[in-house]
Parts: sequence; structure tokens; C-alpha cells
Amino acid sequence: MAASSAAGRVLTLCRQLQNVCRISSTSHFVNVTKGQNPVYRGMSPLVSLSWCSSLGQCRALHTTTSRRGLEEFFDHPNNWGETNVKSGAPWSAKQLRAKSSEDLHKLWYVLLKEKNMLLTIEQEAKRQRVQMPSPERIRKIERSMFRLETVVSERETALRLLQTGQTKGRPGAWRRNTFGYVYWYRFKEYAIPWYMNRRYKRKKFYTPKFVQPYIRLRIEKYIREKARKENLKKKAQAKLKERFPDMKVSSS
Amino acid sequence: LASLRMKLYPLYQLGNPQLRIFRPNWFLTLVRPGKEQPPDTVQFRIPMEMTKYDVKNYLEKIYNVPVGDIRTRIQYGSNKKRNHLNQRVKQPDYKVAYVQLAQGQTFTFPNIFPEKDRAPAEGSLEEMQEKFMEDEKQRQKLDPRRGGVTEWFGL
Repeated sequence: MAASSAAGRVLTLCRQLQNVCRISSTSHFVNVTKGQNPVYRGMSPLVSLSWCSSLGQCRALHTTTSRRGLEEFFDHPNNWGETNVKSGAPWSAKQLRAKSSEDLHKLWYVLLKEKNMLLTIEQEAKRQRVQMPSPERIRKIERSMFRLETVVSERETALRLLQTGQTKGRPGAWRRNTFGYVYWYRFKEYAIPWYMNRRYKRKKFYTPKFVQPYIRLRIEKYIREKARKENLKKKAQAKLKERFPDMKVSSS
Repeated sequence: LASLRMKLYPLYQLGNPQLRIFRPNWFLTLVRPGKEQPPDTVQFRIPMEMTKYDVKNYLEKIYNVPVGDIRTRIQYGSNKKRNHLNQRVKQPDYKVAYVQLAQGQTFTFPNIFPEKDRAPAEGSLEEMQEKFMEDEKQRQKLDPRRGGVTEWFGL
């Protein structure tokens, strides 16, 4: 028994050494078999640095490209079977504004992978009918991603305003429809020019002459409705005044 | 999260890749296959608007997973359930992708919720409760010297 355990220890040591070598050589390819679990056996500090939660500060330190492949869809094996997993606060917009664009895009991918991982865990928990460990992480990730998107769009808008003076990212124009309403039409891509596009040409961006009286009627209807409501209100107020002469008149 | 939605799927244009996205907002869920799959097949739930080529590019570029072949289908969400007004309640549909890995890789879904013996933390409420219950049980036990004779019998 003792001999076998000693042999096992030697074996694990060898494996650890192997793993360290594997990590140092980036070109090496790691197989994604669950049976032998080559990556998780010996954990070198180099890997464990990148293991930290994406929400922490430690992800800023980038070591090597991650070569875990499909294992990235799962949490760290130490967290398997835990009831709650610790995680930091979501990224605030203030923190994100201090980052460069490149960093933001890197962070986006980190968050994306984290969210995929959490969704996988959530689905598996649903399937096995157990509680998901720390489900608040999903919300945190969503918030971070939303804020990142806001920060990036802020920058895009600033740049666009500087370069072209356009306030909107997607160009458009005020157009009129058949019924005389004016609305903001957002332009979109078409594979063929507009004069060849029969479906586009079928659309009417003008108001025919015979619609004019109906527009007038519509406005009239709107105004009458408004006046009726105001009159009703006034009448009600007068009635109240008659009944309670000392009543305070409400401002609205 | 309205702004996180994909704006428009772009039109086809000459040259690949078709999609040039800086910040993809597509989320894949790796699921345990309901039916037995070959060892090199991984099952994903993917967003509806994602195509096979998108999945391939996604996995290869973001996750560095060599992808051999992809098959997709759309799972119809059940509308059998009825609410309290006897109206049908629809579960959302979703797309399922079966990804075959290249280069002889295999994948089996790990058990990510293994049974762990959970010893309650020192000085926590749970531990105190457990201790209290054990003490109570000890107190409720009958005197072994009486040999199973009930309490009310005897002097």
C-alpha cells in the first residue's frame, strides 16, 4: 500500500512537471478529454493567476493565451459542488471609462466567456433540479456588459460627432406616410439600388391630396377631445366650488 | 438590455467572413445531450439568428476549439401548458447545434454538481442547530438500565 502511494506521488510529480512544460510551450495542443483531465492535474501558479474571477482585478494581468477550449464552458473544478461561489462587484462605467478601447474589447470577450459559462451552469442546474451556485453572477455580468456597451457607444458617438457631425449612428430622415404622419425613417442596407427594388418602390413616402381633408378631420377630432376634457374638468371644479365655497382651488 | 441586441444581420457581400463583429452578443449554452451522442459531438443551445458558419467561427476564434462539422435544428418550445384562463402558454423556441470536434477530440459532459460532504462552518447557526438537536436526542433516550421498560411503570 505504502509503495503504491509513493509511486502515485512520483507519478503526480512527473505530471506536474509535464504540465509546467506544456504551459510554457504555447504551440502544444491540449486534448479536451474528461477522462484524464490533463490540465487540472498539476496547477501551476501561472495558470492559477488567470483562474481568478473575471470580475476581479487580477484579469488585467494577462499571461498566455488560454488553451482550455471547451473546458471554458465550465467553472473551475474546485467550485464544482459548492453552494456559493465568491465573486466581485460588476464593472462600473466609471472604471470602464478609464480603460483603453483595446482593453474594453478584451474585457468584452472575458465577460462573454464568463456569461456562457454561467448559462451552461444554470441550464445544467435546471436539468438536475438543484440550485445554481451564486445565481447573482449572471446579473452582475449582464450589468458589466451593458455598461461596457454604453461606454463604447459613448466613444463612438464622440468620434462621429467630431468627424462627421452626425448625432445618430444609423442615418435616417424625416418622412411622411400615406396618412400624413411624419416619422423618423431609419435607412437600411439593400442589395440592389432603390429604383430596381420593387418592394421598396411600393412603399409610399408621400401623402396624397385626397387625404388632406381627413388629416384636418383628425386634428379637429383631437382638438375637440381635448376641449371636452378641459370643459369637463372646469365644470367639475365649478360644481365643487359651489358646494364648498371655502375650498382651495388646485393649481392643476 | 435593448442595446445588447444584435442590430441587423448584414446583407451578403463578396468575400469572407460575412460577419465582422467587434463585440458579439451571442451566448452559447453547452448542454448535456438528452439522447446519446457520439463521443466527439457537443450539443449547444444557440441564439436563433446564429448560423452554422457563425457557430463555427465563434468556437474557432473565441474558444480555439477545432470544429469539424455542425448540424443545427430548431426545437419547438411546448405550448401544451395552459394558464388560469385556459389560454395556451408558449415556451420559447430555441436552436440546437450539434458540433462535431475535429482532430480526434472527444468530449463528455462532466458532472458539475458532485456530492460534497458539507461540514457546517465553525460557530455558524447551522452547526449550533445540529448540536442542539443531537443533545435533545440524547436527552430523550430512555435509561438503558431499565431494559426497555416504559417510564410510567415502576416506582
